[in-house]
Amino acid sequence: MALFVVFQTTFFLTLLSLRTYQSEVLAERLPLTPVSLKVSTNSIRQSLHLQWTVHNLPYHQELKMVFQIQISRIETSNVIWVGNYSTTVKWNQVLHWSWESELPLECATHFVRIKSVIDDASFPEPNFWSNWSSWEEVSVQDSLGQSILFVFPKDKLVEEGSNVTICYVSRNIQNNVSCYLEGKQIHGEQLDPHVTAFNLNSVPFIRNRGTNIYCEASQGNVSKGIEGIVLFVSKVLEEPKDFSCETQDFKTLHCTWDPGTDTALGWSKQPSQSYTLFESFSGEKKLCTHKNWCNWQITQDSQEMYNFTLIAENYLRKRSVNILFNLTHRVYLMNPFSVNFENVNATNAIMTWKVHSMRNNFTYLCQIELHGEGKMMQYDVSVNVNGEYFLSELEPATEYMARVRCADASHFWKWTEWSGQNFTTLEAAPSEAPDVWRSVNSEPGNHTVTLFWKPLSKLHANGKILFYNVVVENLDKPSRSELRSIPAPANSTKLILDKCSYQICVTANNSVGASPASIIVISADPENKEVEEERIAGTEGGFSLSWKPQPGDVIGYVVDWCDHPQDVLQWKNVGPNTTSTVISTDAFRPGVRYDFRIYGLSTKRIACLLEKKTGYSQELAPSDNPHVLVDMLTSHSFTLSWKDYSTESQPGFIQGYHVYLKSKARQCHPRFQKAVLSDGSECCKYTIDNPEEKALIVDNLKPESFYEFFVTPFTSAGEGPNATFTKVTTPDEHSSMLIRILLPMVFCVLLIMIVCYLKSQWIKETCYPDIPDPYKSSILSLIKFKENPHLTIMNVSDCIPDAIEVVSKPEGTKIQLLGTRKSLTETELTKPNYLYLLPTEKNHSGPGPCICFENFTYNQAASDAGSCGHVPVPPKAPPSMLGLMTSPENVLKALEKNYMNSLGEVPAGETSLNYVSQLASPMSGDKDSLPTNPVEPPHCSEYKMQMAVPLRLALPPPTENSSLSSITLLDPGEHYR
Amino acid sequence: LPPPAHLCLLTLLSPPLSSAAPTSPAEPISQAYSLALYMQKNTSMLLQTYLQYQGSPFSDSGFSAPELQLSSLPPATAFFKTWRALDDGERLSLAQGAFLALTQHLQLVRDDQSDLNPGSPILLAQLGTARLRAQGLLGNMAAIMTALGLPMPPEEDTLELVAFGASAFERKCRGYVVTREYGHWTDRAVRDLALLKAKYPA
Repeated sequence: MALFVVFQTTFFLTLLSLRTYQSEVLAERLPLTPVSLKVSTNSIRQSLHLQWTVHNLPYHQELKMVFQIQISRIETSNVIWVGNYSTTVKWNQVLHWSWESELPLECATHFVRIKSVIDDASFPEPNFWSNWSSWEEVSVQDSLGQSILFVFPKDKLVEEGSNVTICYVSRNIQNNVSCYLEGKQIHGEQLDPHVTAFNLNSVPFIRNRGTNIYCEASQGNVSKGIEGIVLFVSKVLEEPKDFSCETQDFKTLHCTWDPGTDTALGWSKQPSQSYTLFESFSGEKKLCTHKNWCNWQITQDSQEMYNFTLIAENYLRKRSVNILFNLTHRVYLMNPFSVNFENVNATNAIMTWKVHSMRNNFTYLCQIELHGEGKMMQYDVSVNVNGEYFLSELEPATEYMARVRCADASHFWKWTEWSGQNFTTLEAAPSEAPDVWRSVNSEPGNHTVTLFWKPLSKLHANGKILFYNVVVENLDKPSRSELRSIPAPANSTKLILDKCSYQICVTANNSVGASPASIIVISADPENKEVEEERIAGTEGGFSLSWKPQPGDVIGYVVDWCDHPQDVLQWKNVGPNTTSTVISTDAFRPGVRYDFRIYGLSTKRIACLLEKKTGYSQELAPSDNPHVLVDMLTSHSFTLSWKDYSTESQPGFIQGYHVYLKSKARQCHPRFQKAVLSDGSECCKYTIDNPEEKALIVDNLKPESFYEFFVTPFTSAGEGPNATFTKVTTPDEHSSMLIRILLPMVFCVLLIMIVCYLKSQWIKETCYPDIPDPYKSSILSLIKFKENPHLTIMNVSDCIPDAIEVVSKPEGTKIQLLGTRKSLTETELTKPNYLYLLPTEKNHSGPGPCICFENFTYNQAASDAGSCGHVPVPPKAPPSMLGLMTSPENVLKALEKNYMNSLGEVPAGETSLNYVSQLASPMSGDKDSLPTNPVEPPHCSEYKMQMAVPLRLALPPPTENSSLSSITLLDPGEHYR
Repeated sequence: LPPPAHLCLLTLLSPPLSSAAPTSPAEPISQAYSLALYMQKNTSMLLQTYLQYQGSPFSDSGFSAPELQLSSLPPATAFFKTWRALDDGERLSLAQGAFLALTQHLQLVRDDQSDLNPGSPILLAQLGTARLRAQGLLGNMAAIMTALGLPMPPEEDTLELVAFGASAFERKCRGYVVTREYGHWTDRAVRDLALLKAKYPA
């Protein structure tokens, strides 16, 4: 080992002495070694600045030389950079050279040495490198200060995307140092125990205030200090874009460009990039104050060509762009002015404008744009100073916008901005006749014609329509035609015309004139042609209509219909060779019925109704269900009817009805089908296909059963709305029978009761007349008046019946008797005291013990005095009972009449019996004395009994038959009245 | 400067300027105490705003670097016993020295920030306000010293030649230390003035 060390030392010494020898030899031959090498540092730029001289240079001679420089870091053997520097060296010249270090100089000691060689043609001989100068050491660390931690480089300015090396110097190797870039730890390479370097590749631009990088020294968890740097990363300076220059007046060139990103940084580290304009022909330069434009004064009139260089510059970079141009090719004219319109009429106008004059004999190219009615027209025109253009084929009464821009005609560079103005053409007479249609309402004696017209389109109106003229001319009789003017917004008018043919002309008028006339002829015959209505199906797009062509010449067809819900008449004109059309508007609504009428227009312009169509653009299900009545409810059937349901005003054509029936029975009735309702329940369904059949007899039902039914109409779109079922319970069988019998019976009984009630008086009279009470007779009062204390009423038992004598009756007697009777009656009627019998008699105490029979053979005066005058009148007889007989006169007349009738009815001749009272006989001849002697009869003489009994029968009791016959004969009710 | 602060400053500044020979120290002590209390409310806000504009690590939550100090700025921390034993003159002159240094440092920090953060008017306004308040407190303390008959300490230029070569990061650190110490010295001034207030009741 020792031997090896000795050998090595010997070898190095030998080598060293050999090298020394060589250099001495070279130096002798070429003694141009760099000497006085001094190295200084620039911390901000992180650069080493070298300066040296070359000895032994020939006086006043220049030599081209090459210097090789070696830089080592930390120790001399660690060479990190070798490079050559060629320059021409003068005698006694101090040479300078700089080297920028990636690693901050503060973080490592650097060593520099230099050698040279002549590289000059005047030294043709092969040249040798000089000796190296001695290593020059550069160390900044010692001057740092007392702090425990340092981070470098401070406030470095770099461009985005460049690589940066930072480092720290830690005085105490026991401290643990961590470094962070914007809060994220970074890891580096340890150069020596105190120094660590970090290579940051492609640093990003974060903000213009710089990027913080800091290191923290700590022992354990105790922070010993913090130190950092701010790295200023600049955006890369961009080349200016779209650089161009132009002139408007040949005095100033206006140059513009797009500057790109601003590279200014905070802390005054870098201001915004500067822009400088350099013109190479004149050699002039101008620093621009704005970042995107610059004005250049044109000083020499003769200069036509310009070569501009725009230089953008910041601390890190310089960029430039170049343009070369002829000034006359960069003329940007000033905007045209004084744009005006002359001689504007309905269809043309003259447009004039002016251009700023640049130089004499300068021609301009101008472009005109005309905007109007949604269209644009473009025209090019060449002008000098005053521009003029004739605009033709304009639309009347239309607002136009015309604008113009110009450019240099000889060397087109750029259009000016547009200069424009609006103008409106004048009105012209409307160019087309209005579309007119009519509806005719025939009434007896006249027609009511309503004319409708559509407003003219803007294209045809040629202005504002002010009014419509309607001229009505009678075609049958020569007469003056009638003119009506209707102010403009109106689109209809009503005319009442008599039964003649009329021609109606309609024109639209604006301020200039009238349109062509639209002619319609109303014929004298009303439209009474019966045309069947045909059903059609519409679609969402509209209705497709077709019709049979009208025989004869037609000039066209018209289809009209009414819009709902506005009820406005709409129409469509169809050409003469067309027999079908599609009516499509957005106005058609689903569920609304539209009626279309198709008219043919004859050559005489008379409209003739050809066909009628009706339909729905979309049929809907019925909106309501009919109100159903249940009739004829029996134990086995009932009838449903909905006669009131209108099938016309529905949102679809009613095709029929569905009758749903629910019952407890599982089986459906014969004509019904099983159906499932929307709620899932089962029921029976019967379909009626005829919309006019609005009743249904539901039979085969069970008595005393519960049924539910529901009737709904249906259209092609479906059924009516769901509704509740109506409940019906069938009655039991017997009750219906009972009702059948009982009802008439009850009715009959009631009828009888009413009759009985009405005729109660008669019945009473007939069936059980009052028996007169002799004690209540007026005779009694008369007797009392005579103050006869022994007055008594004779009892029947006291009477001794006499024999009845039947006498044959001679004719003459009969007549006499009648005459007598009449006179008697007259006497009776004249007697006022007879009337008292008519008023009601209260508290009649039932029939008295005596029965009074009237006998015509008997003296009536005596009969009057009897108790037969008592009439059993129902208590408080209502006035109605008396009827017409409320006045005494009426009563008397009625009595007279009835009495006469009853007399008349008695065929006296048929009577074979004559009653002769045994008591009355003595008085028969003494009529005159009757009033005076009624109170003088002998005992029981008041009873005037007649008996028609054979002589052999001695006092038979009055039989029922005889009394009945007597009643029938005499009709006492009538008589008493 | 918000209007209340203006008013406050005006009222507090005017008495010591107008009255040459106050009779009792209680009033200027009370006024100084009120101002110090008012300043105390805003010191942490100033520090937070400042840090927020400096980037990492300053803007990191919970940032604290007590080891960072400025030799030109006297530390506010003191041993309690020493502090308690100070006499009125020493106490007031220490505080006055500190606030004098703080006014100069706050101006320096504001200049630095207007260079680095020209687009942050809030921070610049707060720094300006803090400096004005520090000056106001200085005036109040001078009034107290006059009232107590104490000699006024000479005005010194605390910032000598240290400021201008500093790097951006050092300037950020410097601003941090200044705004932090402004808070600490305000806290200490409140304690100082409370002690004086107790000693010289109205």
